[in-house]
Amino acid sequence: MSAALEVTGLGVRYRRTWALRDCSLSVPAGRVAALVGPNGAGKTTLMHTAVGLLRATEGSVRVAGEAAFVAQDKPLYDDFTVAEMLTFGLRTNRRWDGEAAAARLAGLGIPLKRKVGGLSGGQQAQVAVTLALASRPDLLVLDEPLANLDPLARHDVMRTIMAETAGRELTVLLSSHVVSDLEETCDWLIVLNGGRMQVSGDIEELLDDHLVLTGPVGASEAGMRVVSAGRTDRQVGLLVRGAPSPDPRWQARRPGLEELVMGYLRNPESTAMPALTGVRP
Amino acid sequence: MIWVTWRQHRAQILVTAAFLALLGMLLLGSAVEASRYVAEHAPPGCPGPAVACGEVAVALGQRYDTVYSVFGWMPLVAPALIGAFWGAPLLGREYERGTHRLAWTQAVPVWRWLAVKLTVLGGAVVAGGLLLSLMVSLWRPVFRSGVGSAFGNVGVFNMVGVAPAAWWLYAFALGTAAGTLFRRTLPAMALVVAGVAATMFTLVQVSDHYAEPARTQLSGTVVLDDPDVRLVSSAWVEPSGREVGEPSESGCARRVDVGQSSKNTDAWQACLFGKGYRFAVYYHPASRFWLFQWTEAGILTVAAAALGGLAVHRTLRRPG
Amino acid sequence: MFCLIEFTLDRSSGVSTYLQLAHQVKQALRLGTLRPGDQLPTAREVVESLAINPNTVLKAYRELEREGLVEGRPGMGTFVRQGVAGPTLADHTRVRRGLEAWVRDARAAGLDQEDLRVLFAVVIADLAKEDVA
Repeated sequence: MSAALEVTGLGVRYRRTWALRDCSLSVPAGRVAALVGPNGAGKTTLMHTAVGLLRATEGSVRVAGEAAFVAQDKPLYDDFTVAEMLTFGLRTNRRWDGEAAAARLAGLGIPLKRKVGGLSGGQQAQVAVTLALASRPDLLVLDEPLANLDPLARHDVMRTIMAETAGRELTVLLSSHVVSDLEETCDWLIVLNGGRMQVSGDIEELLDDHLVLTGPVGASEAGMRVVSAGRTDRQVGLLVRGAPSPDPRWQARRPGLEELVMGYLRNPESTAMPALTGVRP
Repeated sequence: MIWVTWRQHRAQILVTAAFLALLGMLLLGSAVEASRYVAEHAPPGCPGPAVACGEVAVALGQRYDTVYSVFGWMPLVAPALIGAFWGAPLLGREYERGTHRLAWTQAVPVWRWLAVKLTVLGGAVVAGGLLLSLMVSLWRPVFRSGVGSAFGNVGVFNMVGVAPAAWWLYAFALGTAAGTLFRRTLPAMALVVAGVAATMFTLVQVSDHYAEPARTQLSGTVVLDDPDVRLVSSAWVEPSGREVGEPSESGCARRVDVGQSSKNTDAWQACLFGKGYRFAVYYHPASRFWLFQWTEAGILTVAAAALGGLAVHRTLRRPG
Repeated sequence: MFCLIEFTLDRSSGVSTYLQLAHQVKQALRLGTLRPGDQLPTAREVVESLAINPNTVLKAYRELEREGLVEGRPGMGTFVRQGVAGPTLADHTRVRRGLEAWVRDARAAGLDQEDLRVLFAVVIADLAKEDVA
């Protein structure tokens, strides 16, 4: 499958500090990719580079086709009416599906004559996402699209995005530092930590490929690729990649997405990247 | 993009246009009223030496001063306002609100977004400055016919010719560049106001050097007959031909005047002239009006281009 | 478009989403809400109501297809296969009557709701073992 977003050896430096270093990843077309990591991990920098707001200091970012971007806090012109925001999109884009956008906003009950500044946070998010989708992008990049939204608005915004991915081939890259927001919606996972890539891959494959093991202290860890470990005096809890050790004292189960992400974030040395050496013990 | 520019900046454009229209009506009204007054009160042969002509001239002068006091502040305040409300928000407000990340991630590339905005708004600013100049230039002769061109008074000089357009363009570019520097509107506005005032002060100082001053020697008086010149400096010339700032060995006693009286100074000067001293005046004659206009406009336009280039460079280098 | 079934999601159940969807289709087949020839909601319709990844819906439908319960018709949608039927409605009613009588009997014997559930589960498990053996 062709890549919608291809990042190779990307590094971005602000003055003297590197916000991103040695980042390589590839998101196949049609996927909904979650970009997760703690604050300051470089998520926004990666996204800004992908949409052309920042230049790569080294390496490259390649987007197949057109990208649309919804920045953090969903900036819009407060003194524009919703209809004028649509005109803004029409005048600043080559491809523009204004009818679909107007229909979607009408369906959401957002009046076109209302000033953007007078809309609720959830409605503003819908307008921002609708604008981005109206330019018929091949890649939709959303920086923390669910932050500062109430649960109903989060659900509504996700519905809008997911419906679009069901209708045509659209690749989505969205960031969040709340993993549970992404569980139902994303099928590709990218973990960034401290400006470096830790994980990039299909979520189902990643979950199939990892195990959560619990056992007594002293159970054999030989031959296992341990992502992260939590130990008490008597018990050991491990997140491992690949096959577990044959020691029968281990109890194994499949990890949840959140457990997987947390396991990697706790141990920044571990990585799970396609075509790379993988976990370092 | 032109629609976007218009929609985002229509408030400034409309307010400026309304202000110019208002000023135009004021100037037109006062000119019509003054012409009527002249037609009714000036006897044939005016302007001339007749007493009635003098009365008409005084009445016209009063009318001129009244209206001039309404917009005499414009050479300084108008560029400051243009810079603060046209220039500073252009990029400063986008950064401040984060909307630059919306504007610059559409299909229109950043450089084109900038080019359209700078061209359209810069063009509008220049047009506005020229319109002001045109209106003032049409209005003044009604009152000032034969009294002088607009060269001697720096305030008037900056309201006619190409000066207002150059000043407005410079202030607009200064505001735009300040917006990229602070990435906020209010500090950029403050910088514009300070910058325009500082530039005006500097240029007034520098303008003496736009050309080599003309020199003339006066005898019997220290006042140049033509009021429409710019004085640069003056000096006493000894009978030997040497120029001195203060004649020390002339033998004429100088006593300090008291109050408003200039009796003692007049006597001292008369004494000097009697001993063969001359008074040398360095000045720029009114004929240099356009030389000065174009020199000042050139300096401001080059500065505007440099500031605009800085704004473009800073924006394109790191749009995020 | 009119949808025959409406999916719901229990996000705290720990059961993966595609299994929940597949399970709800099977349930609807058992209860007769879905009948042979009926069309399942399109991925877009499900996604628009649940805000989930469309691939999850497709995965659930593939699972049902693998079990022979539904069939995808290219360009048209996913339909319940002909010949798929749970117990007939008459059987359903007859068995239900018997169960009601049994529950009344058990209540009379002093068993509470929890006892009933446990008893029911034990019997099902025992019978399943017998079948295997």
